[in-house]
Amino acid sequence: MSTCLSFLSPGLLAVAGRDRAQADGYRDRMTLPAPTSPTPPDSDERQQIDAALVQRMAAGERDALGDLYDRFSGPLLGAAQQILRDSAEAQDVVHDAFVTMWEKAVTFDRTRGSAFAWAVTLVRNRAIDRVRMRRRRAELLEGAAPADLGYQESGGEATGRETVTIGEEARAVRAAVATLPLEQQRAVELAFFGGFTQEEIARKLAAPLGTVKARIRRGLLKLRDSLAVRP
Amino acid sequence: MIDERHEELAALHALDLLEGAELAAFERALAADPKLQALVRELREASAALAHTAAAAPAPAALKARILATIDRAERPAPDNVIRPGFGVWHILPWAAAACFGLSAVWLGQRASTAESQIVALRNEQTLTKVSLQTALQQLEIDRLVSAKAIEETTQKLAAATSDLGSTRSLLAARDEQVTSLSARITALASSATVLERQLGDTRQQVAQLTADLKAQGDLANYQITALASMIEGSPKSVAAAVWNPSKQEGVLKVENLPALAANEDYQLWIVDPRYPNPVDGGVFTVDPKTGARSISFKSKQPVEVINAFAVTRERKGGVPVAEGPFVLLGK
Repeated sequence: MSTCLSFLSPGLLAVAGRDRAQADGYRDRMTLPAPTSPTPPDSDERQQIDAALVQRMAAGERDALGDLYDRFSGPLLGAAQQILRDSAEAQDVVHDAFVTMWEKAVTFDRTRGSAFAWAVTLVRNRAIDRVRMRRRRAELLEGAAPADLGYQESGGEATGRETVTIGEEARAVRAAVATLPLEQQRAVELAFFGGFTQEEIARKLAAPLGTVKARIRRGLLKLRDSLAVRP
Repeated sequence: MIDERHEELAALHALDLLEGAELAAFERALAADPKLQALVRELREASAALAHTAAAAPAPAALKARILATIDRAERPAPDNVIRPGFGVWHILPWAAAACFGLSAVWLGQRASTAESQIVALRNEQTLTKVSLQTALQQLEIDRLVSAKAIEETTQKLAAATSDLGSTRSLLAARDEQVTSLSARITALASSATVLERQLGDTRQQVAQLTADLKAQGDLANYQITALASMIEGSPKSVAAAVWNPSKQEGVLKVENLPALAANEDYQLWIVDPRYPNPVDGGVFTVDPKTGARSISFKSKQPVEVINAFAVTRERKGGVPVAEGPFVLLGK
């Protein structure tokens, strides 16, 4: 790689290296050992189908990628749009994530995490990278603070503007999130969709850092438990 | 059993909120603890599920086609200059086998497998390099746009600052003119102040004079004027008027038609103040023998506060301490 990039400036090499390091980081985050607790049957079945599609992608089956796109693109695009607030950028991010999944499908190990979690991680990290870059640009240009993410407007129940039927999975997750206390919802959503650091979340919520960490811990644990017991 | 602290770190790690030393320390702990690994995996699955809470977006068919087109392009054979080293080895192998004449088919198979692996690895690296290069170029373009915007804004600010400087200089020149004008006015005002001060002195003197005049007029208001009537039988035309200034204890007496006096006689004026047992001496005077008139100024020989009457008597020359002669005039 360094030979191929040798004609570039040191600055570009640094950027490329950073991107490579990020890619490695994403891969590392997915190389976790097998879970010790059982997952619900329907969820496990879905994960088996997803994993089989990724295996077929690894074998070079183009149609498998199309099928996986049909299964994942709705929530992935929704999440990317919620993070980026820009439809075109969200599509770019989802595009890059699927291309990466195609390229790295051979490295996927279902025992180390679900294909959906892998896809979400790829999309989220790329989207947050763009948001942070956008913030850096905005700060450079104007010193403007990032706009409010407006979760209250679009993060909860489905609106009439949605053109896609909400699936059973989405309804279950939304119901689980709705059981969280509001301050835990807000902290978890800011962490997931906002791309903020711990300190930035604390400032945004006007709460001590320790409180914010505790809210995220309790919120995520409760969400895990709620999703684990669903039928 | 995972303690709360590690649960918290696991949750933050699942949301990619750990950084720096905290991340490194947690990853060391994670590597050594399978239960912690399982917890992180579960929390990451839970956090990934949050993607479902976003407003579901319709999956564009065009995006799917674009993704498929991208992977189709990626599957095309890589350029010769990138994979040549692998093919070089690939092509050299038969020559090497021919040269050796004795290598087994199994060994050749192993070498071929190695070469294929190298080709796959090179392809993967080429793809990754392309992605990295594309990202770097995008970053470079973004930086270029940001820099261009910053330069444009700086230029605008510089132009605005230059304009402000010109305005400030003009303002400064105008202020200088104002200062000069004000200095001249101050000088003129100082001169005027001197004149005014002098005029003020004069005015003060006039005020003092007027005050004195007013005081005098006030005193005049206190003057006591008394008409004296004749007390002489057969000479009713004899009249007199006395004006008394109490503050100065002096007065004026004007008489007319008084009979002429003998050479050894004088008329004597008396001021009747009830505080004294006898009238107070106001002095002696004579009259014109032809007209019987005279105007004299007189002063009381003793302090007088209340005057009940003025009287004129005919006395021996030089006057007497206590009236002895007949009354000529009397006024109350």
